Amino acid sequence: MIWLSIFAMAAIVFASRYLFLEPKIPLRLSKTALQFLSYSAPAVLTSIFAPIVFIREEELSIGLDNPYLLCAILATILAVSTRNALITTVISMAVFFVIN
Amino acid sequence: MNSTETILHLNWPSKCKAFAKGALAVLPLTIAVIPWGILAGSYAVEAGLSPLQSQAMSAILFAGSAQLVATGMFKLGAGLMSMLLTTMLITSRHFLYSMAMRPQISPLPLKWRLLLGYLLTDELFAIANKNKGQRFDPWYALGGGLSFYLGWNIASAVGIIAGANIEGLDSWGLDFAIAATFIAIVVPNIKQPSGLLCVLIALVSSVFCELLAIPGGLLISAILAMGLATMYAKWRGEEQ
Repeated sequence: MIWLSIFAMAAIVFASRYLFLEPKIPLRLSKTALQFLSYSAPAVLTSIFAPIVFIREEELSIGLDNPYLLCAILATILAVSTRNALITTVISMAVFFVIN
Repeated sequence: MNSTETILHLNWPSKCKAFAKGALAVLPLTIAVIPWGILAGSYAVEAGLSPLQSQAMSAILFAGSAQLVATGMFKLGAGLMSMLLTTMLITSRHFLYSMAMRPQISPLPLKWRLLLGYLLTDELFAIANKNKGQRFDPWYALGGGLSFYLGWNIASAVGIIAGANIEGLDSWGLDFAIAATFIAIVVPNIKQPSGLLCVLIALVSSVFCELLAIPGGLLISAILAMGLATMYAKWRGEEQ
């Protein structure tokens, strides 16, 4: 059952990644559609990480006692000032593991 | 953009160079994803999957966020149907990635399409979709995708071994790695007011949906943010 689930989920994930790379699938995108799609990565990734950062024990946590929030703010500052993914992730994670 | 704008490498040194360049471009994200991979591996073992099954999650499914959610559902003994629906929801953003990469990848031969499609993660999308206006280099994308695949699987293997041997790994807060990775991808790519608006709407909406336990909150938030950002950009007449 676990194996079946893994393969079935893998099929869905692969289909979602491959579908529109297939030239036989008809798809002509307007300029507006392309612009809409250009926001997909920030929109989806933010929707995944924001609850991790802002919610502790199923409640909103926006105080200084939330290490996830503090380090996410640090990561954002580092990302803006350095534009370097390695510095952003390594420093913010190091600080997180120290204070957590 | 059409097929003539794809870079063709005529010899192996040139292919290897592009491959290495891609691997280097994704390296910060490969490193950042290590704690997350460890989390995925150890969590799978904790949920009762065998070590082989736990590794198969990373090796076959190869989708960090879907893996974590699916593992939680294995743990709760959820049915196959609800697992597949949830997977579809989480993975729906990849439809958007493949649409965005369509102009570059769909003209390539089948084996390239299958390979790059299989490897099309958030991280590969982040590096491959960045250089707008430049010619698409399949070897660069392959280097990024394949090295990331290796990193993810090695980290998962470490997690599987550690999960079986270290107590209380779940209190380490390894999920912060997810936030750090995505902040590192999202923030530097905010270049216009509409991009900032998109992130802020997604942030508020996803937290709100999660607090109210609204099913499909991820999809709702993403589409809302994308739609409003598009409308705002049109209204302000932003240049793409």
